[in-house]
Amino acid sequence: MIHIKQFSYEPGEHEAETASSSYLMSLIAIIVGLPLPIVNLIATLIFYLGNRKSTYFVRWHCTQALLSQLSMLFINSFGFWWTISIIFTDETITSKYIAYIIAAIIFNLTEFVATIYTAIQTRKGIHVEWWFYGSLTNLICKSKS
Amino acid sequence: MVVLRFIDKFNLQIQIMKKPIIQGLITILLFFGTWFALTQIDWMKVFKVQQVTDKTEQKLGELFWEVFKKSEKEIKNTQVVNSVDSIVTQICKANKIDRDKLKVHVLNKDEINAFALPNGHLIIYSGLILNSDNQEELAGVICHEIAHIELSHVMKKLVKEIGLSVLISMTTGNSGAEVIKETAKMLSSSAFDRSLEKEADIKAVDYLINANVNPELFADFLYKLSDSEHEATKYFTWISTHPDSKERAEYIIEYSKGKLTEYKPILSNETWDKLKAALKD
Repeated sequence: MIHIKQFSYEPGEHEAETASSSYLMSLIAIIVGLPLPIVNLIATLIFYLGNRKSTYFVRWHCTQALLSQLSMLFINSFGFWWTISIIFTDETITSKYIAYIIAAIIFNLTEFVATIYTAIQTRKGIHVEWWFYGSLTNLICKSKS
Repeated sequence: MVVLRFIDKFNLQIQIMKKPIIQGLITILLFFGTWFALTQIDWMKVFKVQQVTDKTEQKLGELFWEVFKKSEKEIKNTQVVNSVDSIVTQICKANKIDRDKLKVHVLNKDEINAFALPNGHLIIYSGLILNSDNQEELAGVICHEIAHIELSHVMKKLVKEIGLSVLISMTTGNSGAEVIKETAKMLSSSAFDRSLEKEADIKAVDYLINANVNPELFADFLYKLSDSEHEATKYFTWISTHPDSKERAEYIIEYSKGKLTEYKPILSNETWDKLKAALKD
């Protein structure tokens, strides 16, 4: 699911630090905005916008962090509104709902672990490409040279 | 030449795009697959959701019934109990409703009112029976309340009005007697949502027809009670809590149209008269 690949150039110390921060950003935002699934997306988006003119390595990792948050947004928003409708409307708890929440938790946890791992690796200047998000980022984020 | 180069470029683009698209689709499938696999487990049973809900409802039913039992006198007269029981049993039998689930209580009060409490408690005030011109009117109101019970409207309303946390704290004894009393009062004197009321009315008509009771007489009852000239207006709790009686009567008539079958009374006229006489004493 996660591949360590050779990047087109060796990132400098400062680049590795910024790239690693883009992942940390989403982790911190998860803690702050746990009930609201949109907070971590906004945090990574702000970080992405702030670094979009940065070096290739930084841009690449900011994009991957942002994309991974985007898909979690769909899963989490659906679960969030389903929960709200159970609390405030006639909707009741069903096996389907519990199964969805468990599936969402599994995916969130996987993403959480992958984010921590990637944050550590990128800090060391190691280039990590995720399954799907990595190849998607390669399409969006191009080297300027 | 230009076309060939364009096709080549297009093919290259497709090749590049292919990987993320396939991986994306696999990811989506993986998520839905996980969800689907997890739905195969009966989580309601694993987490004992139904059991907890049933227990809460049972406890709430007892708590609220205690409130009414203390403030009002329950009529234990065999004539009254048996007659009302005959109507309820006949309705349940005709509609395949578990009769043992319903706990019917007739209370001595002038108010024209009947209401449902959690866990199948059905309270009927003597004022309602005395002000019903015929047994079909009473059967109509009973059917309406049974429909609320069968459609789980009571718990839905409670959760909506006072919240699940307060309800659970009531059952664990962490709520004051005053809160329980107020909630019980709310259940007896306020209506459900308009949509829930209509749902219960329509279901009541089905129940009545299945039990061979004329639903039009139930509609007549609503017409009658919506008439402010009626002598017992001041006691019309059931009507004041169920607004737009005329409108309700109209859609009941509309819904029961074409469903006419042969109607026959549940109680004999003699038993009905005896029931009223017993209540007047």
